[in-house]
Amino acid sequence: MDSLVLILIVPFVFGAIMFMMPLQFKVLQNTHILLSVIVSAILLSAVGKVVEGNELSFFHHYLFLDSLGAIFLSLIAITGLLVNIYATTYMKWELEDGHISLKEVKNYFALSFIFTWTMSLSVICNNIAFMWAAIEATTLASVFLVAVKKDKKSTESGYKYIVLCSIGLAFALYATILLFSAGNGKVDGEAMLYTNLLAHAENIDGMALKLVFIFALIGFGTKAGLAPTHTWLPDVHAEGPAPTSALLSGVLLKCAMLGLIRYYAIVANGVGFDFVQTVMLVSATLTLFIASFFLIRQHNVKRMFAYHSIAHMGVIAFGLGVGGAIGLFAALFHCAAHSFTKALAFCSTGNIAKIYGTKDMSKMGGMIRIAPLTAVLFGIAICSLVGVPGFAIFVSEFLIFKAAAIDGQYLLMGIFALALAIIFIADFSHFFLATFGKVEGEVVHNSEMKLSENLPLIALAILIVTFGIWQFDSFTLLLNESVKTIMKQ
Amino acid sequence: MEHMIDIVTVLMMGTSLAVFGLRQYKLSILAYSLQTLLLVTVFLLLHVKYGAHELLIWSATAFVMKVVFVPLYLLRLVKKLGVVVEDEPVGGFFISPVVALSFSLAIAMMFYKVFMHFSLFQDDLPLFAASFIFMMGIFGFVLRNSFIKQILAYCLFENGIHLSLALMAYNSHELVEVGILTDAIFAVIIMSILAKRFYTTYGSLDTSKAVNLRG
Repeated sequence: MDSLVLILIVPFVFGAIMFMMPLQFKVLQNTHILLSVIVSAILLSAVGKVVEGNELSFFHHYLFLDSLGAIFLSLIAITGLLVNIYATTYMKWELEDGHISLKEVKNYFALSFIFTWTMSLSVICNNIAFMWAAIEATTLASVFLVAVKKDKKSTESGYKYIVLCSIGLAFALYATILLFSAGNGKVDGEAMLYTNLLAHAENIDGMALKLVFIFALIGFGTKAGLAPTHTWLPDVHAEGPAPTSALLSGVLLKCAMLGLIRYYAIVANGVGFDFVQTVMLVSATLTLFIASFFLIRQHNVKRMFAYHSIAHMGVIAFGLGVGGAIGLFAALFHCAAHSFTKALAFCSTGNIAKIYGTKDMSKMGGMIRIAPLTAVLFGIAICSLVGVPGFAIFVSEFLIFKAAAIDGQYLLMGIFALALAIIFIADFSHFFLATFGKVEGEVVHNSEMKLSENLPLIALAILIVTFGIWQFDSFTLLLNESVKTIMKQ
Repeated sequence: MEHMIDIVTVLMMGTSLAVFGLRQYKLSILAYSLQTLLLVTVFLLLHVKYGAHELLIWSATAFVMKVVFVPLYLLRLVKKLGVVVEDEPVGGFFISPVVALSFSLAIAMMFYKVFMHFSLFQDDLPLFAASFIFMMGIFGFVLRNSFIKQILAYCLFENGIHLSLALMAYNSHELVEVGILTDAIFAVIIMSILAKRFYTTYGSLDTSKAVNLRG
């Protein structure tokens, strides 16, 4: 059967199966892991076909998988799988502590497949209206992954999430409609298809394209967490369960960014790269500085990582703003590097909350003695997030500097360096507060988690380090092909 | 025919002010239902005027889902919660509609000419109305504190987008409209579930009380 058909059907069916499972935790846990492995295998097999040089398409080209989509699909497959495996451990703890019922765990596992389904759809849509609908559906599918509990904070986070993302995405829908009507008759074939619009972008009216990009930036930028419409993100990421935050930050934000990148490609090839780069630089700079300012003030470990997500979306936007082949390569690489890093960061907050019973870092301390492996994993996430050499994020941030230097954009280099320096200082001060010194609050769980429970986190840490020191040919091939597609070379 | 379409779209603009401004939930929901009925009428008129068969199917789906299902669902929610009148909006009951009306008119005035340039159907008043209704919905989110009023604001801007879609992209694949409409219906259902939960935990539908996560 066609890979795209499987992607279209299997995760949804698995979600339905999970809804029908009996209320026994062991059964739910094992089924969730097994089905997650199958979904990831299907996604990766589709990616593999693209790496071999095939471009997959289905249903009159309404669904397709190009190299750009393959990068993001591989993130859903790899990050998604590891987070889903960790989710079974996290939910076991929540169940044992009486924070959640077995029925809620079952619903959580079922919804995570529906969520994976919507994210995968958003990546493989060639029809820009379908892509919009899939991205909007990611919000709808994940609301109750965020608002799992029925208390005030959980309800408030769910409310802010759906309301703010829906308003933002409404602008993206206007961008979609406007792009279709501006492209209608100007492109060969159907003007709803991304590939047709990109191929004939130069025929579309320039003023319309500029307006389309502004609307798309507001719309997809809201969902991706770009300032000033980022305000939902800290509340939602901080309040949801650790695996949900890991999925939202590690994968979902990237799917929204992919939507924006597709519009970036069309508009850049229609009106020239200068316009989109300037707009992205303004948005990126604003995002980076707002996020770093709030980052310094945070003591809640999840909230801190939430502001990090915003900052790193700013880094991706900065890469798109600097532009050129290297800048675009860096932005796309950063999507993967940040995905692994932030998944590890948020999953390690699950361990940390288990140890201290709080997310407040000022009440932690001495983690290196209580849970050395968790402390090391937390340290790897922090090192990567601040761009220490040898970790994945360093590669993309270095490449952004390189792209700016080659282009002689020294002011941009200065702005970027300043923002990264603030993030660096804020992060390490928080890391030392939680990891070393004496315990300031109480310790609820005075030992390391089991090795089997930490395995998904170890796998993420290995990915972060290997992507920092090693070049994977197949992944580099996808990145290079994507850059060529965006630049129409 | 030209005048008929214009008259109906002006009525739609009037109903958007009613959805936004009426204090009683029941009346506000009925105003939304009426607006969607007018939207269905515009689809039918456009179908007659331009021979756009797609809009015939659109009008049928919109009638079932938005004229009947969504209002009934919301009326059931209001009845279940036992709420009658909405909470005080930002700036009070009088100021907030005036602000929304004036800004929506100004913004719609700015955008409709751009849309006009690319629209498949060159009907200026309906294009203006689409932008206006969309902006009234956006202002509904910003200015009204009641969760149910915010759901209705979502429905409003969705109607604005639906009208724009009919005018600017009616010839897109029928699944496009189905996809967008399905998302909208699910959004209303999920927001309604959250509104119920909000009412249970906060004892009110006033979203300005949701301040536990600031920082």
